[in-house]
Amino acid sequence: MTSLLSRSTTGLRPIIAGLLSLIVLSLPTFAAERVIIASTGGAYDKALRAAWFDPFTKATGIEVVTVAATNAEMRAKAAAMVKTGTVSWDLYLDGEIQAASKAHLEVTEDLTEFCRQFADREDLSANACSAGGALLQSTATLLAYRTGKPGEPVPETWADMWDTEKFPGERAFPNFDDPWRVMAAALLADGVKRDELFPLDIDRALAKLEQIRPSVSLWWKTGDQSVQGFRNGEYSLGQIWLTRAKAMHNEGLPVAWSYKASFLVGDRIALLKGALHRENALKLMAFWLNSPAAQAKACEVLSCTPPSSEAIAMMSDEARKTMPQGDDVRDYVIIPDAEWINANAAMMLQRWNEWIR
Amino acid sequence: MTRSLTPLSSSPSFRRSSSARFYSPTASLALVTPLIAALLAGFLYPVARLIALSFSGGTLSHYRRVFTEPLHLDVLFGTIEVAFVVTVASLLLGFPVAYLMARLSKGLAMAVAACVFIPLWTSVLVRSYAWVVLLQRNGIINGLLIDTGVTEGPLKLIYTEGAVILAMTHVLMPFMILPIYSALRALPPDYVRAARNLGAGPIRAFVAVTLPLSLPGVFAGSVMCFVLALGFYITPALVGGPGSMLMATLIGQQTTVLLDWPFAAALSTVLLAVTLLFVLLFRRMLSLSKGLNSVY
Repeated sequence: MTSLLSRSTTGLRPIIAGLLSLIVLSLPTFAAERVIIASTGGAYDKALRAAWFDPFTKATGIEVVTVAATNAEMRAKAAAMVKTGTVSWDLYLDGEIQAASKAHLEVTEDLTEFCRQFADREDLSANACSAGGALLQSTATLLAYRTGKPGEPVPETWADMWDTEKFPGERAFPNFDDPWRVMAAALLADGVKRDELFPLDIDRALAKLEQIRPSVSLWWKTGDQSVQGFRNGEYSLGQIWLTRAKAMHNEGLPVAWSYKASFLVGDRIALLKGALHRENALKLMAFWLNSPAAQAKACEVLSCTPPSSEAIAMMSDEARKTMPQGDDVRDYVIIPDAEWINANAAMMLQRWNEWIR
Repeated sequence: MTRSLTPLSSSPSFRRSSSARFYSPTASLALVTPLIAALLAGFLYPVARLIALSFSGGTLSHYRRVFTEPLHLDVLFGTIEVAFVVTVASLLLGFPVAYLMARLSKGLAMAVAACVFIPLWTSVLVRSYAWVVLLQRNGIINGLLIDTGVTEGPLKLIYTEGAVILAMTHVLMPFMILPIYSALRALPPDYVRAARNLGAGPIRAFVAVTLPLSLPGVFAGSVMCFVLALGFYITPALVGGPGSMLMATLIGQQTTVLLDWPFAAALSTVLLAVTLLFVLLFRRMLSLSKGLNSVY
């Protein structure tokens, strides 16, 4: 037994030494200034780090620590942290609609005061800073389709998505617990005018969806499924994220999209109530809104629309060309009624669940 | 309890573990205390909090919602149905594997055991994605079916309830095989030999001796599969379609999308109650079947 023990400790020695050195190495970072932000990780995180976090650390000496989680996890975890009084994050990212909800405002600090400093900035869009958080970027959910021979008619509107005679082939719609987009698309296809869309007529939307249901081959839950389905030829017309459509376009897949059938939704940076590094977190948010260069760099990679028009001007022509902006936004793009969606989220999900099963 | 088959319970492989001879009751209690403390702090306390949360506001309104809105009961019954089908499929597929493992020579049994264990040690996520690769429209299975002329075009295999049952059965099979295997291993080969000696054919010997004596393992495996299947989340999300909605999906929606935790707690409590009910039912069924009291 003793020989076994000593043998095992000899084996452990390098590991212990390694662990000790790790502790020593990590000591200075405990002493230094830092800020902790939760984001969805992966490519998103990498782009934000290169464009935003690293330049910020260089300018201020404040280290940015990221924690990866899905949007839904972040929302639930942030609420749990604030409720139990053990707040270990400072900032987290959430969808623009959720960021306007009552539940969100219970968990995050009201930023109205912080936003005042940006009130006179002409380059920033009107919604760039609000009580629920600073705008990180916006992106569209829209009608994307498989391109055919040149000269063939292409689908442009949601009504075309429903027109299976003119545009045969299977359809894809999202099914990720946030059904307003699909219902809104159905209503637009049914002839509802853009400015009369909200409040959504759920009965009418579901009746319209019933018409297209036999042609739907994919109800995607993750962005990855929408990409994989298109690659596999599982559908030829789909309501998907612009970021994913663009990624497929860059891959060389025969995909195109229509801004005449699109919804614009942003991501916000929210500050948790009782955040440990509150001051640093505010600095990090201000740094984003104040640096068009950082916004341009990140959105160039992520195919998003930055909050500052100066940032848009800095991006490459190629990136700008495939971005919903100017006339498109003015004439076609739907900006959702966040207040109504939040007030009716539970009802919509309930009706959706009952219908989709 | 032990009147009918006394030699069986006195056989060292059943019941009496050798460690009882080394440790006094006090020492045993001391050894088990950390586990009990961990269970209290890490399981019972959170569950108690969850149940308390489901009654928040001092009303039964959350439960009323669970039982009056048809969707929730539909999903609950659907979940029980899927769990039941998965358990039966695991049993039918797993029993022969366990039987084989118990009968093979040591080296071969190890090889079969490796085939059971390696999937068990692989992440559920990886195994579920593997099914996506196999079942997708131009996946391996559809390719094979088309190449061999069985079907004209690709079949819809992925995002169906069948895919959910298939993938869940695959993920849960080891939990069925291992308890059955250990029950069969503990069964002395003499019993089967004695039955054969007394004139029973191989089928009769299996039905009269091997099968009843393996039932504790079947019971343990079935309960484990069924209970785990009731709470499955990742696999149905990856390979299932909109029609295959399970309880865990509903609870997840309430927790992370709507942040309605009291209602999520009520749904969880109902699922927990149903689970416990089924465990008790299984036990009752087993203790009712005659002659088994002696082994269990």
